[in-house]
Amino acid sequence: MRDKARFLFPFSVVAIGVALVVALVGFMEGVFMGMIDMTANLDSGHLRLVNKAFYDEEHLRPLDRALASQRETREWLLKNSKAEVDWAPRIRWGAILDVPDEQGETRSQTPVVGMGLDLKSPNSNEIDRLRLKSSLVAGTLPKGVNEMLMGVQLAEVLDASVGQSITLLGQSFDGGMVADNYKISGLVRFGITAMDKKMVLIDLVDAQNTFYMEDMVTDWLGYFPPSTDFDRYEEIKGSISASLADWTPPKDWAKDDSPIVLSIRDQQNIGAIMDKFRVIKGFVVGIFTFLMVLVLWNAGILSGIHRYGEMGLRLAFGEPHWRVIMTLAIEGLWIGFLGSVVGSLFGGSFAWYLQEVGLNMGDSFAQTGLMINDVVRARVTVGGFIQGIVPGVFASVAGTLVASMAIFQRSEANLFRELEAG
Amino acid sequence: MSETLITLERVCKVYQVGEENFTALNDVSLEVGAGAFMSFVGPSGSGKTTVLNLIGGLDRPTTGNIIFKGANLEKMSRDQLAAYRRENIGFIFQTYNLLPVYSVYENVLFPLILNGQKESEVRERVNAMVAKVGLEDQVNKKPAQLSGGQCQRVAIARALVKDPLLILADEPTANLDSENSRQILELMQELNHEYKAAVIFSTHDERVTRYIRREVRLEDGRVSWDKRRNGKEIES
Repeated sequence: MRDKARFLFPFSVVAIGVALVVALVGFMEGVFMGMIDMTANLDSGHLRLVNKAFYDEEHLRPLDRALASQRETREWLLKNSKAEVDWAPRIRWGAILDVPDEQGETRSQTPVVGMGLDLKSPNSNEIDRLRLKSSLVAGTLPKGVNEMLMGVQLAEVLDASVGQSITLLGQSFDGGMVADNYKISGLVRFGITAMDKKMVLIDLVDAQNTFYMEDMVTDWLGYFPPSTDFDRYEEIKGSISASLADWTPPKDWAKDDSPIVLSIRDQQNIGAIMDKFRVIKGFVVGIFTFLMVLVLWNAGILSGIHRYGEMGLRLAFGEPHWRVIMTLAIEGLWIGFLGSVVGSLFGGSFAWYLQEVGLNMGDSFAQTGLMINDVVRARVTVGGFIQGIVPGVFASVAGTLVASMAIFQRSEANLFRELEAG
Repeated sequence: MSETLITLERVCKVYQVGEENFTALNDVSLEVGAGAFMSFVGPSGSGKTTVLNLIGGLDRPTTGNIIFKGANLEKMSRDQLAAYRRENIGFIFQTYNLLPVYSVYENVLFPLILNGQKESEVRERVNAMVAKVGLEDQVNKKPAQLSGGQCQRVAIARALVKDPLLILADEPTANLDSENSRQILELMQELNHEYKAAVIFSTHDERVTRYIRREVRLEDGRVSWDKRRNGKEIES
């Protein structure tokens, strides 16, 4: 460290490399996990109990394949999963919304996707889970019967506003047509363009009434506390699946109902995406590490040339080769450690800033239809720091050692001659 | 005659240069006594530095033996040679080779630290050695702040501080002016008397020969003559 010329360069390389890795991993983790969380909260849950027949054709929203006996099913789930899982009943539905004018004639009409979820029970976590209070841009959350939350862009398309009465046209549980009037209680900016354009939310009980689904839901979504490992999802899923085999279904269930448990990995190809993400993240970290090793190797060689005097001297004075190499490795370790600490501070600060403030990419996502929040945020995690620090230290030590091989292979006499040549 | 410190027995050193062999030393035999103050002289390429490298255990002879106080360097492993240098040899270089980021004190301390000694245990010894070479006022300065003569004094202090049996000085006055050369040689002569460490120079500086007690001339890798101050001359 006293020789600034040979300390600053490798130190800076490690610090910059680690800062980039920590920031990049934080950003990637944030975007990806944000997408996963969003998908889980809105659509898939971390776990999902669903009738297999419904799941196989869920794009058609076959309400006749919903699961009956809501109360018994909840009790069974509470008994056969773990207390850490919060189970939320949902009804997925699709319908046409019709907005009438003053004369009661259709002014505008559009197909929508809807979700019935528990918006009114005092112990429901759904409002917090979907951050509905903070997403509300006008009006209030549903309080009365047949009130609806509508995506803000959908309201613009329909030219509808808060308080407006609207007709929902859809298909009932038993295949008949339903038409029910709702009032728009609030407009919501979900932050996901696809949902802002197409999504409406109604209370679960209202949905059950509208679609003639008394005591029925299409899905039971299970939610774990934040930061629960994906492996835990699979573990609980396995235990529920095992219990399902011995389960005597409630008497109201149809004979061919066959409930299955899915984790988020099993749905919408998310497992494959997760695996790819891990590979990509590994590549990013690997490439940065490789580049750091390359640069540090060259820095080590330059430093080695710069230090031939010192090396030759130390060998001439009788320091064994292995000790010279070990000293260099320890120097590399220190430089790697200090560079990593400083790099982590910078990279971590940047990631933290992106986590707290976020980066609005709504314009870019507008046409994608992906379930990605318009404001992407980084995620500062211990793993992100580890993925920066470990390669940083490794690169520094490896770079120094690779460079020092040149010194190791030189005889003392050669170093002595080079030392004399100046 | 003093006790024999080093014996060279029919030492040859052949380097391969490209496709050809170059004989740097050819059948050199001689003895160096403890406390000697001698020099290898000769033109460039005559083998002066090679013989210093061999005596210092930095290189191995192609044939022949080098015996240091009864131990054959040829039979030593790399680590044993390192220990031999660490414990017995001090080096002085033409270009001083001080570590630029270290102070005078730290440069002199350096070989003792390599020997595994603690700074607190050798502080007085280092300061005394710095004072001995007349640099007590410069102890905290870096080499860049010193003159060439002062740098070479630091190098002498560094070579002597571990109390070696032998000092190898490769062209120590080549970069110095006359006055500084004289001072350095007088200092080395004085320290040779005081510390009894044998000093072997390699030089073609004729000023050095005025101070030494024995002069071995090398030509084309052979000893052409071996002259001692007492007038005895051995033609080879």
